[in-house]
Amino acid sequence: MAEIIVVTSGKGGVGKTTTSASVACGLARRGKKVAVIDFDIGLRNLDLIMGCERRVVYDFVNVIQGDCTLKQALIKDKRIDSLFVLAASQTRDKEALSMEGVRKVFDELIADGFEYIICDSPAGIEKGAHLAMYYADRAIVVVNPEVSSVRDSDRILGLLSSKTQKAEKGDGKVQEHLLLTRYSPRRVATGEMMSVGDVKEILGLDVIGVIPESPDVLSASNAGTPVILNEQSDVSKAYEDSVARLLGDTLPLRFLDEPKKGFLARMFGG
Amino acid sequence: MNKPLEAAREPAVEIRFGQVGLAQVRIRTTDAGAILDELTGRVAAAPHFFERTAVCLDLSALEKEPSTSDMRDVFDAVRRAGMLTVGLAHGTAAVDALARTLEVPVLTQFRVQGKASPVPTVKEPAPPPKAPAPPPEPAVLHTPSLMQHQPVRSGQQVYARHSDLVVTSTVGAGAEVIADGCVHIYGTLRGRAVAGARGEVTARVFCQEFHAELISIAGVFRVFETLPPELAGKPVQAWLDGDDLRFARIGG
Repeated sequence: MAEIIVVTSGKGGVGKTTTSASVACGLARRGKKVAVIDFDIGLRNLDLIMGCERRVVYDFVNVIQGDCTLKQALIKDKRIDSLFVLAASQTRDKEALSMEGVRKVFDELIADGFEYIICDSPAGIEKGAHLAMYYADRAIVVVNPEVSSVRDSDRILGLLSSKTQKAEKGDGKVQEHLLLTRYSPRRVATGEMMSVGDVKEILGLDVIGVIPESPDVLSASNAGTPVILNEQSDVSKAYEDSVARLLGDTLPLRFLDEPKKGFLARMFGG
Repeated sequence: MNKPLEAAREPAVEIRFGQVGLAQVRIRTTDAGAILDELTGRVAAAPHFFERTAVCLDLSALEKEPSTSDMRDVFDAVRRAGMLTVGLAHGTAAVDALARTLEVPVLTQFRVQGKASPVPTVKEPAPPPKAPAPPPEPAVLHTPSLMQHQPVRSGQQVYARHSDLVVTSTVGAGAEVIADGCVHIYGTLRGRAVAGARGEVTARVFCQEFHAELISIAGVFRVFETLPPELAGKPVQAWLDGDDLRFARIGG
C-alpha cells in the first residue's frame, strides 16, 4: 500500500526541502520506490537540493495540465535507482495546481508501483500548502526550536486535523510526526533555544527525529547532494534514524547533547 | 459542534463576543405616554449621551405581565424618545415568550434588578417542615458538556453552545476555547478562554496549567502581557466578582 507523506511546517526556511530530499533518499536507499514532489510552484528548490536542476524538462504543472505524461516529467535520481523527482514549475504560480490534478498524479504514481510519495510543501497555509497536505496519510512537521516556528507548526497541525481529506471524510487521522531541525545543544543549554522537551510539550506530539544544526546542510545543498548521503555527518545519521523511526523502528534520540570534550582538551582548556 | 473555523478564503462574517454599552431601563408601567414623557425629559438633559442609545428593558418591576401590544407601545415610546430597544432583560418564562413574539433577544447579562430570582422558572413556596422531600427534579435540562479530546491548535476555535466545555488536552497559543457555561481545561492553557459567552456571570474558567493569553468571563476580560509569577504554570481558576475578574490557584 502506497503512503503519501507531506513534509510541512507553516514557517519558511526551517528545512522542509532538506528534509524531503533526505527522507526520500533514506527510504529509497532501503529499496523503497519513492517519488518526491515539489509543491512550491514558482519557487522551485527541490531540484537544486536533489542536484537535478539541469535535467528538468517537464514539471508537475505540465503533468497536471496534460502537456506531457507523468513518465516524461519524473526525473530518475542518478545515485539511487528507486528514487524519482517531480519538479515544480518555476514560471507558474500555485493557482496552476488543482485538487483533481494532484489526485490524478498520485493515482498514477500509485498505479505505477510507487510505495512512498513525499510531498515537499511550500511555506504558508495557502493553496499550495493545502494541496500538499490534502491527500496525506502521514505528515512530517518540521520545526525549529524557537517560538515562531513552534506556533506556526501548531497552526499547521490544526489544519492537518481539519483540512485534509481524512479529516473531511472522517476517514481516520493523518499520522503526525514532529521533526526538529537546526537543533543546537549548546544554545539549548544557554537557554537561547527551546529544548526537545519544550517543543514536545507545547505541540503534544512525539518527535521522530532531531537534526543537529550543522554547516554540512548548507554545503550539501550547494553541492546538490541530499545531506543524508554525506555519511560522515551527524546530520546524515540523524536523518537515517528518523527514516528508521518513520518505518517503525524504535531508536533513542541522538545528538541532543553538546559533544563532550576529550580528556586532553579538558586538561588544556582546548 | 466542535468545528474548527479554518477558512482558506476570507469568511463572510466574523463573530465576536464582547462587552457593549447598553442602557438598562426598568419600567414600572406600560403606559406609553408616561414612559415617553419621562424618557424625553431624561434625553433632553443629555441629548448626545442618549441619542440612539441601545436599551435593554427590564420588566421585573411591572405589576402584571404586559401583553404583546403593551410592549409594542412601550417600544414605540422608547423609540420616539430617541433610544432603541434591543432586548429584554432576562427574567421569567413569560419574558422569554414575550421576547420571542417581539423578535428581540433576552439579554442575560442584565440580571433583573430587585426581588425576582435569576431563573424563576418554577414557583417554589417555602418548604413546609415535613417529611424529607424527594430530591428536586432539575427544572431545566442542561445540555451535556462539549468534550474536546484533541489539542486545540493555534488558529482553531471550539465553542460550546449552551453548555460547559471540557478540554482534556492542551489549548495552544493563538487558539480559542469558548463556552456559554464554564471552561474546564485539563491540560495547558496557552491561548484564550472565554466563559459565559452569553453573559452568564457565574461561569468560570479552570485550567491545569495556566499560561493564558486572555481570559474572559461574561464579557469582562483580561489579557496577560506578563503572567503573574505566582500563577504561571499553576492550576488556576478565574471567576467574576462583580465587575472584577479574579484569579486564584486551585488545590493549594
